[in-house]
Amino acid sequence: MLLIKNKSHYLMLAPFFILFFLFFLYPIGYGFYTSFLKWDGITEPAFIGLRNYQIVLQGKSTLKAYSNLLTYVFITVPLCILTAFILALVVQHIGKRAGNVLKSIYFLPAVIPTYLAASIWRWILASDIGLLNSLLSKLGFSQINFLTDPKVMIFSLIIVDVWCSAGFNMLILLAGLNDIPDQYYDAAKVDGANKFQEIIHITIPQLFPSLFFVITYGFISALQVFEVPWILTSSSYMEYGGIKNGLLFPVMDMLGKGFGSLKFGQSAAYGIVLTIMILIFTAAQFILRRKLKK
Amino acid sequence: MNTYLLRRNFNRGILWIFALIFAVILFFPIYWMVCIVFSPTGVPIALNPRFYPSSFLEGIGKINQIFVERSFLRAYLVSFIYSGMSCIFGAFVTSMAAFEFALYKFRGKNFLFGMAMIALLVPKTVFLVPLYLFCAKDLNWLNTFKGLIVPGVADAFGLFMLTENMKGLPRDLFDAASVDGANHFQLYYKVALPLSKNIIVTLIILIFMRTWGNLTWPMIIASNQQYYTVSRIINWFNQPDTWVTTDNIMAANFMAAIPPILIFIFFQQYVMKGIAYTGLKE
Repeated sequence: MLLIKNKSHYLMLAPFFILFFLFFLYPIGYGFYTSFLKWDGITEPAFIGLRNYQIVLQGKSTLKAYSNLLTYVFITVPLCILTAFILALVVQHIGKRAGNVLKSIYFLPAVIPTYLAASIWRWILASDIGLLNSLLSKLGFSQINFLTDPKVMIFSLIIVDVWCSAGFNMLILLAGLNDIPDQYYDAAKVDGANKFQEIIHITIPQLFPSLFFVITYGFISALQVFEVPWILTSSSYMEYGGIKNGLLFPVMDMLGKGFGSLKFGQSAAYGIVLTIMILIFTAAQFILRRKLKK
Repeated sequence: MNTYLLRRNFNRGILWIFALIFAVILFFPIYWMVCIVFSPTGVPIALNPRFYPSSFLEGIGKINQIFVERSFLRAYLVSFIYSGMSCIFGAFVTSMAAFEFALYKFRGKNFLFGMAMIALLVPKTVFLVPLYLFCAKDLNWLNTFKGLIVPGVADAFGLFMLTENMKGLPRDLFDAASVDGANHFQLYYKVALPLSKNIIVTLIILIFMRTWGNLTWPMIIASNQQYYTVSRIINWFNQPDTWVTTDNIMAANFMAAIPPILIFIFFQQYVMKGIAYTGLKE
């Protein structure tokens, strides 16, 4: 009887876990295996040991992609979260009815797919024909090549990024804000704290779990940035990363190596290197949190 | 007292100014997209930045044009099939597993659930290339709906969200149904599913949003133009060698934005609840 009962449990779990195994676990193993091969996907693969890792780690494009990535990540994550935090505070303080309306408006960009956001912003930021540049020239300023000047490109990406993610992070922080008991604020008022002190000494420490979540999540997704820079630079497998590789990022380079130049071994090795980096980032944040808690 | 009130009003004023500036910045690009679509064709943005819509008919004309001349209609159907099937399969497969995890004890339960939860920490994009190799070379799923849909069905986040929610289902109802002779599957199908309607709607909405907004996987697995999704075709429009005009790209953007925006308007509470769950997952 018990056995039959048990069997029905596993039958119900089977569809999920068969798919999970085939399309999640197996590809991870497959990725490791492929990273030791020289393979174009058509002819017989050849085992070449760690050669792919050597090529990837020494590659010029790798260096550029990772330096872009680090610059990008360390600006965009704090900026996204700061923006979301301010939005959440505004919504919380402005009153219930207005707050609800504002919340929906602020969240709207997060409803739009990110590729779409990029496809709209491309026409706001474009040189000559873009909205911002045509306004700048009407006002008598010189052009800013938002999408083609290698020094500026990364900041254009960050603007689009903040625009896309602000609403999502705001909502999570807002849920955290609403969980802070009112007594804490009342106590602070009795002690004569002003708004700013209140935020520093009560809101931020109490909000820590939500903040930690948006930061970790923000880093994990920012490290895999792909769709927005891909569209902003009108990339294709053959030509990607924009002028002087100003918006070249690891995932982009990884896919380019695979589908552009059909070097699947290198592409897989590239993926493993990036995974290790993301896991280090995530682990570092968990360790940091443990230290902060003590 | 007077200075106190004055300061209070002043602070509220500042707050409102901030609130409105943010609202304008966040709303403007979407509004501007609508303005570009619904205004006369062919005028460069540099000459007329178009801050208000001026012609409804021209907009309809542009939308019609991309549907007829640019095979956007086909992409629209492909996207609906991709998202729709993903929702149906995703909801069933995930809710069946969540039902077991939430309500029963069995051997290997913690191991299986733990494994799925670790998946939440693994960056998915990074394994797209081996996933592609497996689907395209071993399964021969390149340019098929199977290839688009099936690899995304078993989603660990959905499992987490449903399991957490189903833990709250009243057990007496299941016992009563068992006594009445319902078998294990009927308990799931006739008792658990109807009781979890809200959270399953939330899951379906999240799956729809995720698949409708997915560019990377369709780009990899559906390279043939017959299987272009909306995301892929907009990516293609944005490439310089296709010579699609700004007007037409914006019309495509507009049409691609409509389903998620409509869902957001009609199911706002569900969408926001789903997002709140993302925040809980850690």
